[in-house]
Amino acid sequence: MTPPLASLRILDLTSGVSGPWCSKLLACYGADVIKIERPGIGDESRGHGRFPGGVPHREKSALFLWLNTSKRSITLDVATATGRALALRIAARCDAVITDYRPADAQRLRLTHDDFAAMNARIVTTSVTAFGQSGPYADWLATNLTSYASGGQHYLSGDPDREPLQGGGYQALYQAGTWAFGATLAAIWNARACGIGQQAEIAGQEVMAAILEIYLPDYAYRKSEALTLRRGNFASAAVGIYPAIDGHIGIHAMPKNWPQLIKAMDAEWMATDERFIDNRARLRNDDELMAQMFVFAAGVTRAEASERAGQHRAPISPVNTVADLLESKHLNTRNFFVDVEHPLAGTFRYPVPGARMPTTPTELRPAPLLGQHNGEVYGELLGLTRRDLAKLSAASVI
Amino acid sequence: MPTSNNEPASDLRAPTADALPLSGIRILDLTMVWAGPSGTRLLADMGAEVIKVESARSWDMLRSLHFLSGSPHGWWNRAAYFNHNNRNKYGITLDLQTERGRELALQLVATADMVFENYRADVIGNLRLDYDDLRAVKPDIILVSMPSHGKSGPESHHVAYGTNVEQLAGLVSISGYPGMGPHKSPIAYGDPNAGAIAAAAALAALHHRRETGAGQHVEVAQWEAMIGNIGEHVIGHQMDIQTRAERPRSGELAESLGNRHISRVQGVYECATPDEWVAISAGSDAEFAALATTIGRPELARDPRFADVVSRRHHQDELDAMIAEWTRTRSQDDAARELQAAGVSAAPVLKIPRLMQDQHLRARGFWEPVASADAGTWDMEGPVWRMSRTPAHIRLPAPMFGEHNQWVLGDLLGLSEDEIAALEAEGVTAREPNLGVHS
Repeated sequence: MTPPLASLRILDLTSGVSGPWCSKLLACYGADVIKIERPGIGDESRGHGRFPGGVPHREKSALFLWLNTSKRSITLDVATATGRALALRIAARCDAVITDYRPADAQRLRLTHDDFAAMNARIVTTSVTAFGQSGPYADWLATNLTSYASGGQHYLSGDPDREPLQGGGYQALYQAGTWAFGATLAAIWNARACGIGQQAEIAGQEVMAAILEIYLPDYAYRKSEALTLRRGNFASAAVGIYPAIDGHIGIHAMPKNWPQLIKAMDAEWMATDERFIDNRARLRNDDELMAQMFVFAAGVTRAEASERAGQHRAPISPVNTVADLLESKHLNTRNFFVDVEHPLAGTFRYPVPGARMPTTPTELRPAPLLGQHNGEVYGELLGLTRRDLAKLSAASVI
Repeated sequence: MPTSNNEPASDLRAPTADALPLSGIRILDLTMVWAGPSGTRLLADMGAEVIKVESARSWDMLRSLHFLSGSPHGWWNRAAYFNHNNRNKYGITLDLQTERGRELALQLVATADMVFENYRADVIGNLRLDYDDLRAVKPDIILVSMPSHGKSGPESHHVAYGTNVEQLAGLVSISGYPGMGPHKSPIAYGDPNAGAIAAAAALAALHHRRETGAGQHVEVAQWEAMIGNIGEHVIGHQMDIQTRAERPRSGELAESLGNRHISRVQGVYECATPDEWVAISAGSDAEFAALATTIGRPELARDPRFADVVSRRHHQDELDAMIAEWTRTRSQDDAARELQAAGVSAAPVLKIPRLMQDQHLRARGFWEPVASADAGTWDMEGPVWRMSRTPAHIRLPAPMFGEHNQWVLGDLLGLSEDEIAALEAEGVTAREPNLGVHS
């Protein structure tokens, strides 16, 4: 069956996490993603690791391997006049260009949406940056940490008596990439309908500010600061993380889950205890409820808690480690991991994309070697000969 | 009743250059709480006509999280958490557990492009509204299901909220202060993550429909959707065990870096005002030298303890003390500005009241006023997918409970006033939620 995005071709000018995650998602659903990398250096994530045996190698970075499956890599120095002209010629054959240039960089390189649109009126330019394309911070430097900070989630995260805590991995960057993926598809849908492209702009700060759960809406409306403080591992006794025999478990019980929760805890006596008789009483006696939760968690393994949770349909979960994921019977029954064989890095099990579509390709192609597809892409799309490529290579353009 | 500024735009079928990208797309939205509604909100912002379905006995729990004292009448229309996540949508009541309610839902499906649901895995089948039921009335329908554990597999009957999802997905196990055990994110993070993935996947399905004419059933298992965000750890872990003599014990946690980074001098530092922080992240030698100069210690760039990425990581405690000495004499905004001017990544750690005053977001017009009959007026974050030619805004406040019954049942489905009144008398539709459900 044809993959859902088989008709799309994407030029990817990004590096790091946000842009490559966006274009990886496009590639996973069938788009032809052509990734431009700097000659000799490549995507910055190639330098990041982890690496097999801890030995840095630009073709073996776990971060790069993960974020660039199913793409084609060509090398091109877009800062040269020849390189820029080639990038624009490729863009002329694409539905969208993904960039992560701050506005000053896009201007300097003369690779703005207007430059692409001059070649191709239907082109969509997706810009995914930390602060967007306008405003006083638009040209600020940024990392995952600063997007986590400027988007409001950082201050809320961590213990009340300690410094704010960043979540694991690169969540602010991934989130911006996911949102850029959707925005790109919406803009392409529109361009196909009316024949005119546009710039789709994603700012990491805005993405993070838009996912502050109840905390931002409640402040925006009631102007109360009650819900704007750090609360550690517990939003309340019923929403928190508790130590179990062999690790931790998480509980998240809303009022309607209470009957199932106390069954799973084997604590049905709580149903008639005055302290826990209804939601109001439970909130009033939050400390005592928390004590009961600690007792329950301390007496079960994560597997036992999970089994009881399933049996009684209570929202209790194990705090899984990455090793647990790879061994999960549930995920493996669903064929969530697929072997991807990379010629230099070796074979590892990779997660498949999070939305399962019956028409999605079931295989992931390994992340490309640096410049692996120069011959076929420049040949196929631009009609360049081997000799042309040799000249460009000698001039360090590719 | 719809007021003059929120008339449904159901006749915008012909795309024009200035219409919103998804005008003409109709979505029947059976989702509640945060995951599903956050996804359909993205599509509603882009102009899709999203019709949210609730009933007296099955209504959105977010309506109950209002924190208003004394539970004033109509509080179910005043919860900001609900109102933010359901703006730009229409809302009706229809009890899908009744035969008549189900029938009317299927009539709506026949006119729709997509259906979203985030019930427990078995509910949509129990309601006899599964993909095959929908396809029978609309052959090219796109159904997006968002169960926490997926619709197959030994744990498909499990339930989970967004905090459970990040626990299941391994994210919590790699989060935390170094050496202090796992830490949750402050939000039900699995929800908006699954919502953003589901919205994008729905658009991919729409592209596929345009190319092939075929609809499909998209399944977003929220647990799986979250694992993608730590994919480098999944691969990195396999690399590590290849080179380790012993396998890690079950439940053994990877070392969390907290605010730090493997190749950057990075952290949050307290400023002149207690509990006001600035985030600083310096990677390359040049960026580190700029940091050293800005904090008045240019000699650090020549100090062998801080000569390269690796040595800086080993001596970060010493650096942290010197950086904090400098930040303690400044506001978070001044510290960030000075560092940025010197070429160092930095940003204020904004608490929510400051976030809403932030001059950058203000200059970008991020906050938009919204007005709702029961809830009044306040500022809300605007659409985050920003389109240069077709900029989106908040067009509609979130629907009051059953607000658009008349329009949907009368104008769209052509029911007479008597039939609509009969539906209410039979309890298929309702004007007020059954309050016992979420108390």
